[in-house]
Amino acid sequence: MIDARDLKKSFGSVQAVRSVSFQASAGRVVGLLGPNGAGKTTVIRMITGYLPPSGGSVSVDGLDSVQDSRRLRRLIGYMPEATPLYPEMRVVDYLDYRGRLFGLRRRERRARIELCIERCRLIEMRTRRAGHLSKGYRQRLGLAASLLHDPPVLVLDEPTSGLDPAQIVETRRLIADLAADKTMILCSHILPEVERTCDELVIVARGRVRAAGATDELLRASRATAPYVMEVVAGESLNVEQTLRSTPGVAHLSAVPCEGGTRFTLTPKATAPDLREPLARAAHEAGLLVRELCRDAPSLEELFIRLIDEAADEDASTTEGATADRSPA
Amino acid sequence: MSGAWAIARRETASFLATPIGWIVIALYLAVSGAVFAFGSLSPGEPASMEGFFALSRWLIMFIAPAISMRLLAEEFHSGSIEPLMTAPVSDWEVAIGKYVGAVGFMLLMLAPTLTFAVALFTLASPDPGPILAGYIGLILLGMLYLSIGLLASAVTSSQIVAFLGTMFFLLLVRLGALKGAEFVSEPYDRALYALLVDLRMLDFARGVIDTAHVVFFVAASMWFVALTALSLEIRRWR
Repeated sequence: MIDARDLKKSFGSVQAVRSVSFQASAGRVVGLLGPNGAGKTTVIRMITGYLPPSGGSVSVDGLDSVQDSRRLRRLIGYMPEATPLYPEMRVVDYLDYRGRLFGLRRRERRARIELCIERCRLIEMRTRRAGHLSKGYRQRLGLAASLLHDPPVLVLDEPTSGLDPAQIVETRRLIADLAADKTMILCSHILPEVERTCDELVIVARGRVRAAGATDELLRASRATAPYVMEVVAGESLNVEQTLRSTPGVAHLSAVPCEGGTRFTLTPKATAPDLREPLARAAHEAGLLVRELCRDAPSLEELFIRLIDEAADEDASTTEGATADRSPA
Repeated sequence: MSGAWAIARRETASFLATPIGWIVIALYLAVSGAVFAFGSLSPGEPASMEGFFALSRWLIMFIAPAISMRLLAEEFHSGSIEPLMTAPVSDWEVAIGKYVGAVGFMLLMLAPTLTFAVALFTLASPDPGPILAGYIGLILLGMLYLSIGLLASAVTSSQIVAFLGTMFFLLLVRLGALKGAEFVSEPYDRALYALLVDLRMLDFARGVIDTAHVVFFVAASMWFVALTALSLEIRRWR
């Protein structure tokens, strides 16, 4: 349904987005992750038709963001990060205005306004001016406005930023409800939230996609090389290291002494299956007393940080290379 | 064009929902009302609204930039331009909607001054021609100034810059054309005099509605609205 192909965007000499491609099928929730300045918001602005891409293309339901911009915008409900509103407008008047902008007829507009007010729990705030709303209610109003024309695609930029924990839980629940019948792009910094809400992830850093795929698959792939930690009681075997190193699938091993024993960190080969059982068996056969055996599986947060660090290293080496090429021999 | 109409409605309502809108109306009515009361209603004075229109032509030079300064600059500053431009409305609809909304507010501001005309007709028998032409001229002048202000508001996110930019532009054209025309020979001086809206307004004050003047004001206003739409388009691609 959403098809972004090799998206690029430059602002003068600054390349905000260098190459971003991903697809979001109908009914899926895609999380767009990245550190500040990664180009997430620029990508979102190109999807919603606010900015035309400098290169590449993006389409929603086959409608191109530049050629069919107005028709594409009808398909998208967009909530920008800061939820900009008109402070002098009352909640119900703002929604009425948005309904008019989307060409909703009077009867339909009224019905949709009531539905969105109820769904976003704004009933007691309906006559309150937007400028007098709390941050949480402003977010809800922004969400209600994005839902008003019942779009098949929802693009939410940091929908829970600045909310208190109770409001976050409530917004998360609402997003989960909406995810049942909408394609959604969710841009967020809150990784556990993304992990819980999104079916797929697109991790962007320095204007490029660093990882993309189903959330479970990405985490599984990152866990493939996650190290094992094994703590063995000292003195049980003279050749502990040799025993563990010879276990098939172990690529690297390091040991540090710990209280009354040794703590081993074993890095598996990329193709190795789960090594917990072979390691336990090898230890048992060697007569070792194992105090602890676990896998140091990375969370989404760690995967995210690793990818960001890799992106930074890659950029640094590219810059160094370019500098070396320019320097006189 | 339903999008433009929605924007225009919101814009006019927004002026009336903020103190600045009411302050502008109150100040304009207070000053123009005083001039009318102490001028046209004084014993021995001719039964006309000439003084009111002469003053209004000057006042509108300051009031129009005050109305137009927030039209787009505020949207850029607050970020509300983003939800607006991601709605299915064209840049033209945004520019026209903003413009019509500002003109709507100006008409609401001028509407109470019709009571001055009613008072004049109640107390004396003025010539209705110059009054009708005076209003048409004033509205056309305001429309032109608002369109210039709209363009200024589209190129900056600062309301103050938009206000001062519009006012200085209007003053510069007025003084520049007048002084410039003295230094150049025919036919160039006529081109400069054509920019002097004051000269066109003199005809309206006499009760003459010259089609050439009407076309000038409407075409010039549309030109600035078109430039505003173009400016929004450029902003997207920049």
